[in-house]
Amino acid sequence: MREEGSLTDAGNNGQGEFEPEITAFTCIYCGYMAADTAGALRLKYPPNVKLVRMPCTGKVDVRYILQAFEQGADGVYIVACPIGNCHHIHGNERAVARVKYTKRLLDEVGVGGDRLEILFASGGMGATFAESAHAMVERVKQIGPNPLKLAPGAG
Amino acid sequence: MPFGTRQDSVGNVLVVGGGVGGMRAAMDLAEAGLKVYLIENLPWLGGRVAQLGYMFPTHDCVLCRGSSDHGYGCTRPAISPAFLDFNRHPNIEIMANTDLIKAEGQAGDFTVTVRHRPTHVDNARCINCSLCTAVCPVDLPSPFEAGLAARKAVYKMAPRALPDSYVVDKVPRCDTCRRCESICPTGAIDLDEEPYEVDLSVGAIILSVGYTLSDPGEYEELGYGRYPNVIHSMQYERLVSRSGPTEGVVLRPSDGKLPKRIAWLQCIGSRDEKYPYCSSICCMYSTKEAILAKERIEGVHCQVFIMDERAFNKEFNAYYEQARTHYEVEYTRCRIQQVLQDPKTHDLILRYPDEGGVVKEERFDIVVLSVGSRPPSTAEELAQVLGIELNPYGFCETDPFAPLQTSEPGIYVCGTFSSPKEIAETILDAAGAAGDVMRLMRRHLGAAPSSREHPFLWQPNGMVPERDVSGEPLRIGVFLCRCRPTLDGIVQVDELDRFAQGLEDVVHVQPLDYGCFEAGLEAIRTAIEDLRLNRVVIGACSHRTHEPLFQRTVREAALNPYLLEMVNLREQCAWVHVGDPDRATRKAQEMIRMAVARVRVAQPVHKLAVQTEPSALVIGGGVSGMTAALSIADAGYNVFLVERDAELGGNLRHVYYTASGQNPQRLLRDLVNRVIGHERVQVFTRTKVVSHDGYVGAFRSLLRRQPRDNQDPVEVEISHAVTVVATGGQEWRGDVYLLGQDPRVVTTLELEDTIAHRPEQIVGMKQAVFIQCVRPPSEVEYCSRICCTNTIKNAIRIKMLNPDCQVVVLYKDIITYGFREAYYTEARRRGVLFMRYDDEHLPGIRQEDGQLRLVAWDAVLGQDVLFQPDLVVLSMAIEPSAGIEELAQVLGVPLSVEGFFMEAHLKMRPMDFVKEGLFFCGIAHYPKFLDECITNAQATAGRALTILTKDRLYVGGVVAEVDQSLCVGCLTCVRTCPFEIPKVRYSDVGVGKIKGAAYIEPALCQGCGTCVAECPAKAIQLATYRDEQIMAQPLGSWVKDA
Repeated sequence: MREEGSLTDAGNNGQGEFEPEITAFTCIYCGYMAADTAGALRLKYPPNVKLVRMPCTGKVDVRYILQAFEQGADGVYIVACPIGNCHHIHGNERAVARVKYTKRLLDEVGVGGDRLEILFASGGMGATFAESAHAMVERVKQIGPNPLKLAPGAG
Repeated sequence: MPFGTRQDSVGNVLVVGGGVGGMRAAMDLAEAGLKVYLIENLPWLGGRVAQLGYMFPTHDCVLCRGSSDHGYGCTRPAISPAFLDFNRHPNIEIMANTDLIKAEGQAGDFTVTVRHRPTHVDNARCINCSLCTAVCPVDLPSPFEAGLAARKAVYKMAPRALPDSYVVDKVPRCDTCRRCESICPTGAIDLDEEPYEVDLSVGAIILSVGYTLSDPGEYEELGYGRYPNVIHSMQYERLVSRSGPTEGVVLRPSDGKLPKRIAWLQCIGSRDEKYPYCSSICCMYSTKEAILAKERIEGVHCQVFIMDERAFNKEFNAYYEQARTHYEVEYTRCRIQQVLQDPKTHDLILRYPDEGGVVKEERFDIVVLSVGSRPPSTAEELAQVLGIELNPYGFCETDPFAPLQTSEPGIYVCGTFSSPKEIAETILDAAGAAGDVMRLMRRHLGAAPSSREHPFLWQPNGMVPERDVSGEPLRIGVFLCRCRPTLDGIVQVDELDRFAQGLEDVVHVQPLDYGCFEAGLEAIRTAIEDLRLNRVVIGACSHRTHEPLFQRTVREAALNPYLLEMVNLREQCAWVHVGDPDRATRKAQEMIRMAVARVRVAQPVHKLAVQTEPSALVIGGGVSGMTAALSIADAGYNVFLVERDAELGGNLRHVYYTASGQNPQRLLRDLVNRVIGHERVQVFTRTKVVSHDGYVGAFRSLLRRQPRDNQDPVEVEISHAVTVVATGGQEWRGDVYLLGQDPRVVTTLELEDTIAHRPEQIVGMKQAVFIQCVRPPSEVEYCSRICCTNTIKNAIRIKMLNPDCQVVVLYKDIITYGFREAYYTEARRRGVLFMRYDDEHLPGIRQEDGQLRLVAWDAVLGQDVLFQPDLVVLSMAIEPSAGIEELAQVLGVPLSVEGFFMEAHLKMRPMDFVKEGLFFCGIAHYPKFLDECITNAQATAGRALTILTKDRLYVGGVVAEVDQSLCVGCLTCVRTCPFEIPKVRYSDVGVGKIKGAAYIEPALCQGCGTCVAECPAKAIQLATYRDEQIMAQPLGSWVKDA
């Protein structure tokens, strides 16, 4: 199903190894601050992850996640405040429910629910943030590229 | 950078101490339009709370909830400080590393001299690149990490701090090698900087200087400093904190192994011969620490050695129960005298008697010493400089009827400097002290205004009018900060420059050496004006630190601040991808591409102005309500004071003496006279509030007054900006212990009436028994907080009237927190007997041959003890006053599990309702002492004045808005909103002209966007996060390889 040739176009770093392209949604409180803390502590993680800022992870719409996959993201994850510590009381719990739902959708359409994850980090947890980026990149490398990238006209 | 002498205005206030208390006070004063100098003797703000990972009992770290204003931020410097450097209130001037050294003058007109000790780093030029730390050869222990981690002589407390800058600590070991000075890329370091002094004119001074931790080394027998696995509680806090040296993993210091058994020893530096007072917080924090251990370490055994369980505030009791039953934390009532160590394993050995008195010996992996509070290190110096009195323990002396005033008029105190206390109480003190200052400086209120339209973007000379860009074709400017060496070089900025030029509608790309320096800001403003840019992208550092600065900059160039999109190329790209320039640059390109796509569809955001009514509604005419009403009225605003009884006074009418010996009736008379005589207070007795509509700044309420003579009620409609609820509480009455059946069984209030009016009845008594914690059996258990002290007060009174009378107190825990511990000691000295009972061994009472027979279990003897008392006094639970549910409904506010009103945040906003513009105080919040009610009332007055002093309020902004033409009224938003803001209004028209559509009040919306994501019809949009803006970004695709 997957051809070697198209992998290069789908986010290959030129050396033949698959480099996933991953989108991470963070709230502007804990998730964003954890990413900042990772920076302040100069903790390296792979540059395969780009962040999208949300006022709260409760704002992460299922459509945003699906759009990311449609546009070719190999993985998507959400970094939320720890449960019980959401600035908006339970926005993160709504995000958990949506991730669960979207995972099922992704399984159904053959993209795979494993490409989507939600994790929790408080603002001081720079190392946790960096490790989660490593872990997600590794996980998606195991899974392989997003099959939608191979579809005609994807991009 | 010397400030120069300031003599311009005495509408200034000096706040000493930059912890949570000082920050809260400064914030409220600034909002009320006073200018504040906030001085802190450490190089950064944050205080003790900054070191804590979690607060009991909520376990949140979200100090960002400290204000409904999202600009407020979080006090944890590891994350971001309460005041961001570039997001400071224009009325607050922060002076860190500064001491108060001299003060002259009097209330309303002080001249104070402050002395700045050099930090050797220019805050404005420090870009936090950390090169100085990397070259510094001097290693020192970090006091912020409680000695658990090292720091250099040039260092920063935590990744984020305020001021957000490194400092050089020229310790003796620093030999001024000048390596830091020469490597600093912006020339910010000056090792020759000298201290300097500044004179400030201020009208009032607030002292919020906190406390020092007890020194566990004073108790040699406990092994601190000798045994590696004996640590103190602040060290445990740092270990368990997610921002601490181990990101929250607690390991045994001796061998790095996961502990299996942890013990907490309570009252270290409290309740002993040398430090006789109770530190008030340790019972709760050790419970928190034990729960955190249980949550994180599987199978860990946690044992707390405790004297009394002092869980005397809202939700604390439930927290204890949870610790005991759900987490299986073991509490042992015993004071450990000695800690021994097994020299081979470094295990710690504790010996203690079990319930039956048999001595047990147990091993523990870690022993945590729960250290108490000492007076702040600067207490004596401040006392000398300011001439204020300290109490015998070295804390600040205050009067119970003016609990926030020091012995010097015009100088106020808040937080732990007046007595050991937790965060919520400190916040109440701080807001209360600010309220006191506002009353003193009423002529200056509102003199230094700030705007909530764009919080903290306000400028002294006002802003240029905003340019209307709606008709213009897109002209996007991209500014790229090089921030050498922290950004350019790791990310190739020239490469980014070329890339950005190729993006749609980008007409200008400009790299800047340091975007945040004045030259960079000027370049941005000039380009916007000269090139008529109407959208701006700035690739620089974190939104958290710099977005307000750049928002202000584009606003100064006449653009709406929301037409700016920032890109965090530094913390979230360059700093985490060092050594990978190609891929880091590709990611940076991707980030810029996303920002340009998003800013293309950005729209201006404006707030709505609401004219503020210059009046307040105060509900409840007891001591709290009257105090709040007077504070507000004294400051120059009208007050409608509503009392449902025929006369003012509330519970205070029945209190005749306090534990400290004052006569509250004197206070009551004074308050009532002043309230009735005040030209700005309108009193409505026999009156209820029957409706309450509108929002902050513009509430409308209907008052219904029941005339004396059974005539028809009279209704009055009033308009007011704020509402203060002070409806108090009452002594519970129930059918228990023969109460109401035998005249010898009385409640505390009844006893006090007897002591005050018929003391002769006491004289002939032989035995009196007090029973504590008498509560309704079916209700949620909570500590009524004041009963132990009241019982001890009355027990002492009985002993004074009749020393031969045997007085016995049957208790569960003695809650004499803070300096009230002295009354407990005094009672025992006078021979009052204390016997502990528990739920398994409740006292029993019966009448026999006209005698009262009371049976109580004695745990020490292991058998029942029989009394034949002449008097049985029941300490009845304090419950909210009747009708609280009804009032809660009228106001649309929630109640807590205990049945009292519920605050916006248990710790950080204890006097605010979630609903803005509504505040509450006194026993309506929770049972509390008279001095605490006064503090609390002043806090609500202060909070109310932050609103009343503004002519207009700005509401809305980044909030959700319903497009009713798409709304089907399905209630999804109503159900999912965490704040219960959306309402489906029958009067509104939805899709297809159906009746009923959702409405979200912009003055109330918190802007989380949860409803937006859930709305099945996509009828709701959140400003600046509209779906169009988010989905315009390439959420999944990336640019081709660089």
